[in-house]
Amino acid sequence: MTRRVLVIVGISVAVLLGVTLGTHRALAHKERHTPEQLKIFDEVFLEQVRIGDLLFHGDGETEKKMGVSLSKTGMACAMCHPFASDTHPYEFPKFQEQIEKFGTLRDMINWCIEKPQEGVRIDADSDAMKALEAYIYWANRGSRLDPGRH
Amino acid sequence: MDSLERERRELDTILRRPGERPDSSVRIDRRTFLHKSIVCGTAVGAASFGWFPLLNTLDVAYGAETFKFAWISDNHLYPKDVNTRFVEKAVRAVEEVQAMTPPADFLIHGGDIAQLGDPVEIALGSDILKEAKIRKVFIPGEHDWYLDMGATWRKHFGDPNWTFDHKGVRFIGLDTVSRAPDYWSATKMSPKERMGAMATLDGSIGGPWAGVGSDQLKWLNHTLSSWPKDRPVIVFSHNPLYEYYPPWNFWVRDWREVQEILRPYTNVTNVHGHTHQVLYNEIGKMRSIGMLATSWPWPYAPEGVPDLTKCMVRADPGDYFDGMGWARLTVTAAERVQNEYMMFGRKPQNVFGEALADSGCADNVNQELHPRIADRGWYSKD
Repeated sequence: MTRRVLVIVGISVAVLLGVTLGTHRALAHKERHTPEQLKIFDEVFLEQVRIGDLLFHGDGETEKKMGVSLSKTGMACAMCHPFASDTHPYEFPKFQEQIEKFGTLRDMINWCIEKPQEGVRIDADSDAMKALEAYIYWANRGSRLDPGRH
Repeated sequence: MDSLERERRELDTILRRPGERPDSSVRIDRRTFLHKSIVCGTAVGAASFGWFPLLNTLDVAYGAETFKFAWISDNHLYPKDVNTRFVEKAVRAVEEVQAMTPPADFLIHGGDIAQLGDPVEIALGSDILKEAKIRKVFIPGEHDWYLDMGATWRKHFGDPNWTFDHKGVRFIGLDTVSRAPDYWSATKMSPKERMGAMATLDGSIGGPWAGVGSDQLKWLNHTLSSWPKDRPVIVFSHNPLYEYYPPWNFWVRDWREVQEILRPYTNVTNVHGHTHQVLYNEIGKMRSIGMLATSWPWPYAPEGVPDLTKCMVRADPGDYFDGMGWARLTVTAAERVQNEYMMFGRKPQNVFGEALADSGCADNVNQELHPRIADRGWYSKD
């Protein structure tokens, strides 16, 4: 190997390393989070929990604002699930008997909307679904993960 | 130790003194024995359980003739055009009571005939109950009360508390719902808002609304004072008369005073609604049975159920009759009060969850719950 080739290889490795390290640095948030940042993260999350709580408890105004119709029977999720009990978010995914398939919490939320509540199912990635999911998980925080349990 | 735990310990200390339980004349028969065996997990109980499905049978001692009465409650009716399912289920319960042979001596309605206290809802319930041609007595639930503070309910059903003697038993109906601390005036709630807060079981705005109240306690004391201490007393109340789960008002806040009054009486049975589930407990000398709803079943309390409760089966949410029903209670000359849960569409042996996976109690395994967040800011509202 000539000296010229060695120099080119050396420069290429240095460039590659630089690019890699630089990119890594940009993606990994190596800077410490400030208390203000953490507060914002928390607020963003809890606002979704709050919205989900309202939807879960049948708040008509919130439904209207979000363009969803979760119930036509007067029933709300919380009527069978006070404190989001027996929603078992920590058991999903699992085989869900009611829908006869391996499903997620979001599948079951839609089942409850359509069957007991006779409402209109919501998109699995919609804001309303994410908010409902946020509330259910938050209310069940500290529960032990047990996916697949019936 | 948080306040709830302190409260629990206090209840145990005061009311579960060593050796204290219902009067010894309250016989433990085979069914009750088997029940206790199952609670303890012994082989004999497990092996024999299938033969004795009605494990919440009570046995209280007294001499009188056999008679039956029926309980219906927690219909939570909306107007017909909003929800026909709740109407169907209330109608079914009333039809089944009416079809009892021999007929029940009376029907007790245990409250929450309406969902939002709407006069249309209460009138609908009143009409449905008219189909039961037997004698009827009524106590209110919180859902019946807080739109107009009981005005419509009273118009249809009369006084919210009462007493009568029937074939050797003193029956007492208590009003455990109308004495909520005033949570509405300071925040200028409309009647609908007041009712809405009360209608949310897991809400925090209504606070510890369930209670008997000092005036009614005096009345209870006076009512019982003329009754021999060893004679049977059956007390109907919407809420349980002990502390089961205060955050959902599965209690009365003045349970200490209630128990103090009941303590001298050795054959007291409390039959209550509100919890929408199979429930049984013994506190001091009082036995307590929770009734099914016709509307929907509540889950068991997150912190567990009384040890003596044989848990109900997990209801199928795809079947809107499942897990719900009414109750048939028999007071026998052979010194028994038997309770049969008449769960819609289920044979008696399928009311209780035998297998762990089918039990309403086992359903809560791994679960930790936290109160709501969205109603905490209400008091800051103008």
